[in-house]
Amino acid sequence: MNQGPVKQAEERRPDWAALVIAAVLVALAVIIYMDASRLREMMGYSPVGPSTVPTFIAIVLVGLAIWTVFAAFRRDFPEREHQEIAPVAWIIGGLAAQMLLLETAGFSIATGVLFAATAAGFGKRKIWISLPIGIVLCLAVWLVFAGLLQLSLPAGPIERLFQ
Amino acid sequence: MSTFEFLMQGLLVAAQPMNLFYALIGVTLGTAVGVLPGIGPALTVALLLPVTYQLDPAGSLIMFAGIYYGGMYGGSTTSILLNTPGESASIVTALEGNKMARAGRGGPALATAAIGSFVAGLIATIGLAFIAPFIVKLALVFGPREYFALMVLAFVTVSSAFGDSTLRGLTALFIGLALSTIGIDQLTGQTRLAFGVPDLLDGIEVTTLAVAMFAIGETLFIAAQGNKGPDKVEAVKGSVWMSATDWARSWKPWLRGTLIGFPIGAMPAGGAEIGTFLSYATEKRLTKHPEEFGHGAIEGVAGPEAANNASAAGTLVPLLTLGLPTTATAAIMLAGFQQFGLQPGPLLFATNPQLVWGLIASLLIANFMLLVLNLPLIGLWVRLLTIPKPWLYAGILLFATLGTIGANPSVFELGMLLAFGVLGYIMRVFGYPIAPVVVGLILGPMAEQQLRRALAISQGDFSVLFTSPIAAVLLTIAALALIVPLILRARGRGEVLSQMAANED
Amino acid sequence: MKHFIFASLIACAMALPAHATDYTIMAPAAPGGGWDQTARSLQTALQQEGVSKSVQVINVPGAGGTIGLAQFASQQKGKANALIVGGYVMVGAILTNKSPVSLKDVTPIARLTGENEALVVPASSPLKSVADLVAELKKNPGAVSWGGGSAGGVDHITAGLIAKAAGVDPTKINYIAFSGGGEALAAILGSQVTVGISGFGEFEAQIKAGTLRLLATSGDARIPGTDAPTLKEAGLDVSVQNWRMIAAAPGLTDAQKAAVTADIQKLATSKTWQETLKTKGWQDTYLSGPAFEAQLAKDISATEAILKDIGLVK
Repeated sequence: MNQGPVKQAEERRPDWAALVIAAVLVALAVIIYMDASRLREMMGYSPVGPSTVPTFIAIVLVGLAIWTVFAAFRRDFPEREHQEIAPVAWIIGGLAAQMLLLETAGFSIATGVLFAATAAGFGKRKIWISLPIGIVLCLAVWLVFAGLLQLSLPAGPIERLFQ
Repeated sequence: MSTFEFLMQGLLVAAQPMNLFYALIGVTLGTAVGVLPGIGPALTVALLLPVTYQLDPAGSLIMFAGIYYGGMYGGSTTSILLNTPGESASIVTALEGNKMARAGRGGPALATAAIGSFVAGLIATIGLAFIAPFIVKLALVFGPREYFALMVLAFVTVSSAFGDSTLRGLTALFIGLALSTIGIDQLTGQTRLAFGVPDLLDGIEVTTLAVAMFAIGETLFIAAQGNKGPDKVEAVKGSVWMSATDWARSWKPWLRGTLIGFPIGAMPAGGAEIGTFLSYATEKRLTKHPEEFGHGAIEGVAGPEAANNASAAGTLVPLLTLGLPTTATAAIMLAGFQQFGLQPGPLLFATNPQLVWGLIASLLIANFMLLVLNLPLIGLWVRLLTIPKPWLYAGILLFATLGTIGANPSVFELGMLLAFGVLGYIMRVFGYPIAPVVVGLILGPMAEQQLRRALAISQGDFSVLFTSPIAAVLLTIAALALIVPLILRARGRGEVLSQMAANED
Repeated sequence: MKHFIFASLIACAMALPAHATDYTIMAPAAPGGGWDQTARSLQTALQQEGVSKSVQVINVPGAGGTIGLAQFASQQKGKANALIVGGYVMVGAILTNKSPVSLKDVTPIARLTGENEALVVPASSPLKSVADLVAELKKNPGAVSWGGGSAGGVDHITAGLIAKAAGVDPTKINYIAFSGGGEALAAILGSQVTVGISGFGEFEAQIKAGTLRLLATSGDARIPGTDAPTLKEAGLDVSVQNWRMIAAAPGLTDAQKAAVTADIQKLATSKTWQETLKTKGWQDTYLSGPAFEAQLAKDISATEAILKDIGLVK
């Protein structure tokens, strides 16, 4: 798995990823500009209204996108290290699971799942060990912060046992 | 009685063993809640205020002061150790502090933050006692145009301090600015870029963005390196304690940070973050070790931390002298004061000296207890880093999301946390600096609103922006900060400068 | 972790309440603001008076309370122990933000407190009376800058009403919105704006100290201890009060609603609450039942009209 920085093949070829970034910047600029032009310029004594600053930002973003295109052709971007996809997927999955489970399953289970998924992302794939550890740890955290310090953290079936 | 006698009397009361114990409890509770990323001092104080009601007035005032300082300091610990700034004022601390922690110098970083906070708190509290009426006059001179000039200065100094590539630094800054326009426009009540999503009406919470980009973005980035890195960080290299060099390099930043933070905190629309930005930029300019900035320079922790704490004390200036709560924390403190029968306002120092000096004495004692609590704990804190990576990062994400959920229990907020975490990860992969995004989100709305207010008051006359003496001076400094490096670079010293502006990643 | 255990031990020792939650009060604002303070005062009073064993406060900040309101209406439906704090500002915010959820989607229980608006100028200002201000407004409305809270809020509405009553086009007022009372007060004290408009409590200490001059207040009667006229006495037909209320979840049965109303009634007449009102300087404007509902409907339609006049709502 240890490949180190991946050497880019040819010097002449543009940096495609950088071109994608430029495209994203342009898209962002278009969204901001369209939203700004929808605003009513109203009742102000200030010549700088609610749409002036967003419009300015949109214009600069387009400028930065053009600059990025040049940089892409000159290959000005730093070399990227090899990125493992699986660990990133584990963690993003864990965060998404926490988000979806939070309201129904409560803080401990949802965050326990995140805990286990993150540990799995870093190589501890024995979920049947890390998940219970995570849930117990989160329950302890819940008891301290929600129970004693009155922070509002969603309660689920486990937390209700302690209420 | 004279000012001094009042203060001594207050200190005597506050130094009674029972009251010292209350201060310690306050500091401990404050730190425990304040340490959660995303939960700043405001919510900490709001949550814990009822605890103080059960004590006698002197005791509750002291515990309250302890909670306040504990909440302030808690954010710095996580910033340094885990790269998860708990509130916007400790974002800058994370830049250098976390690099130090990674290099086994977490101990000195935490120590310089704690002692710097103590020194700044001490000086600023004394300043509050003796020069508050003067400072408040200065603060009132600041109108929208002066604030706008201050924001311009903050932009210039901060942007010159981030990133080794102008293109990527500017892009990151403008992404932050773009994000900052989301939500209801404060001056006209119109919604911008919310696309009918109610959760976006209030804009993007700075702490959510900061926690996502720093903590989650970083976790993803490190996970994506696979098994290349060592399983754990070497927590302590050299001494846990500050060396003679550390002291020598810290004391001036502490004092400068205090000097910058206190008046900015006293300004009704200043904000603690601005002080930390300016302090960081100042230290970077003045340091004898520019090569270390971006890799863990102790000055970059000492200065901003001092500025942060000094501005917290500065907030009390308008609060006590004018009854002006200028931050959310101050507003809650106002509620707390009312509980103690203290009605802040222009007459407070005259009508209620005992309580005021009691409060100031309590703040001094609480500040001291913070040091007592935290210095011995540093050894324990840095050991956190010796936890094996899988458990450490699982724990970081636990606490990062806990803070976000606790501050705003909404699924949407968690969704934003995830989205910005992924953005932070992608930006890291492509070598974009992270901090300018957060800076743009903080400074953008302030600059825009103050500019528009200034122009509305002048009915569209742009010349007002330059005609006030203070604004003119601030803008001149900003222009110099922008132009001088260009001239120096043209003279062939660009090499040094680009090194000075090393990427914080 | 040791740290947290330590903290929790201390908290245990201090016997913090950790039992079942009775009422949950949502403050649809950040900690520190008026609604948050109302919610937390209610929390203290409900517990101390034994109306409820344990009360929890949740902050859902944003957009004049409409974000919290939307969340409350959708998530607490039918729950008899959920309360939300709200007020006049919410009425305006629902209109300006085109909020999909309105006060019709919750069960308003009672109005609790109210505060009159105050019109002030810095002590050094040449303006001595409401008449001076009106003359100035008629000469050049743009030259009179008004410092107050957020756009479309009660301060803005009052400014619009004053202009309208004075015969000046309300769309022409030069209203400068500041975030939070503190910033507006600083701008007024520093003479950055011509006049200031906000809740009387924000200015009270300054008026007493003589750094601000009170031109008028917006209630139907003068505020005791001040010699400024009401706006009506000054010849402008304007009466505004910034009130705060408590509402329950939507979809309650009549019995549930009556139970909540009874609890709030008990609270409002309790000693603790009356003392809180005094220390906070809040006016007791307790009103419940059909009388409150009628008042609410009247306020909503009046607010809609003036927001259209100012040009904030089409």
